[in-house]
Amino acid sequence: MWFVRFISSSIGKKIVMATTGLLLVLFLFTHAAGNATIFMSSEVFQDYANELHSHPLIVLVFSFSLLLIFLAHIVAGLYLFFENREESKSRYVVTTRVVENSFASRTMPYTGLFILLFLLVHIMGFTFSPEDVLISVTVKELLGNFFYSFFYIAAFIALFIHLSHGFWSMLQTFGVNHPRYNVFISRLTILIPLFFLLIFGGVALYFMTGLGANY
Amino acid sequence: MSSIDLTLKIWRQPNSDSLGSLETYTLNGVNTDMSFLEMLDVLNENLTKEGKDPVAFDHDCREGICGMCGAVVNGVAHGPEKEVTLCQLHMRHFSTGDVLVIEPFRSRAYPIKKDLLVDRSALDRIIQSGGYVSVNTGGTPDGNSLPISSQQAELAMDAAACIGCGACVASCPNGAAMLFTSAKISQLALLPQGQVERKQRALAMVAQMDKEGFGNCTNAKECEAVCPKGISIRNIARLNREYVKAVLSEG
Repeated sequence: MWFVRFISSSIGKKIVMATTGLLLVLFLFTHAAGNATIFMSSEVFQDYANELHSHPLIVLVFSFSLLLIFLAHIVAGLYLFFENREESKSRYVVTTRVVENSFASRTMPYTGLFILLFLLVHIMGFTFSPEDVLISVTVKELLGNFFYSFFYIAAFIALFIHLSHGFWSMLQTFGVNHPRYNVFISRLTILIPLFFLLIFGGVALYFMTGLGANY
Repeated sequence: MSSIDLTLKIWRQPNSDSLGSLETYTLNGVNTDMSFLEMLDVLNENLTKEGKDPVAFDHDCREGICGMCGAVVNGVAHGPEKEVTLCQLHMRHFSTGDVLVIEPFRSRAYPIKKDLLVDRSALDRIIQSGGYVSVNTGGTPDGNSLPISSQQAELAMDAAACIGCGACVASCPNGAAMLFTSAKISQLALLPQGQVERKQRALAMVAQMDKEGFGNCTNAKECEAVCPKGISIRNIARLNREYVKAVLSEG
């Protein structure tokens, strides 16, 4: 079948990575917008959470779609990682990377796996938090812990690094590469990850530093 | 005329089936006006006089246009200079005391024949699978009967500059042949003559590329950085578009 042939081709696998990557970035925007209410007050944040969970069907469909997208991104990514490692291990006695700033592209699988670890911790902490405690209280309790916040900030830095290659790479895979837009794209590739780092990292820092003590 | 003294560590491997290793040679009084291959010629002359087996390496035109030569020098395909093949790299870019590790282009799809000589016929098979245009014989068409915009012709020419040396594969962390394949697809997809077989070409060449065992592109950009002809990864973006368009309608 053409679709199976497409998905199993080298370019098809990259398109899977890019498409799911784009959907995950879009999800992060909605998540960041929701989290930003924390900076207003605990009441605003609690209202937002209550409103969201007053539509259980939306939450259910959204969560399952997200799970599928995540699984596709992780499975395709790990598959590519192991397939490419077959090629690259013990190849040359001397290996020199000519491209400068190749740290992000070299570490994609590792930053990705670290984000996956964060995801598991995050879901355990918040999605499956005790039902009888308000989410606005859980946030303050969990992120008030120095080490918990520290881990969160480390994960957001990993996300920043991951996206600083991933966002550009996604557009390249979609075939978007034109001298007129390349400077704009390279700026977006820093600005979008920076935006996520500021919002998500800001929330963790807010509670970690005690600024959110009266939250 | 200045000269330099070098220590060379060269990959020696008698044939495809045997295990290879690095051999160390000292080469003194290397004329800095020589090319890298001429330096290897001098080494081979010395080795022959000593009754030893000379280092096997591929070469042909020695003016940077045939795509036959190439080796990895200190981890960089075609050596440290930008946009030159190994034959056009001159010894003036090195200095006395330098240790040069010289290894063959490596990829799962490039079996080593001997020493620095590799079998790159996997690239030829990608071309055979679709990197051509079928032209029925007949009268010669009038010049300029097919209008092609200057910009389009330039882009096609940029892609056609690929000499098929295979340094892109050798430098790719994943051993992907995307830059080579994308250049060969672009040079035809950009011109009117290439339109008839455009989709079949993209499908066949990508299928052959995967079949040969080349790796998957992860946009590491190393290929573009070592390409002696400065082929841009913009061609890879074009290949991705060509392939998706082809697979959605004719795959």
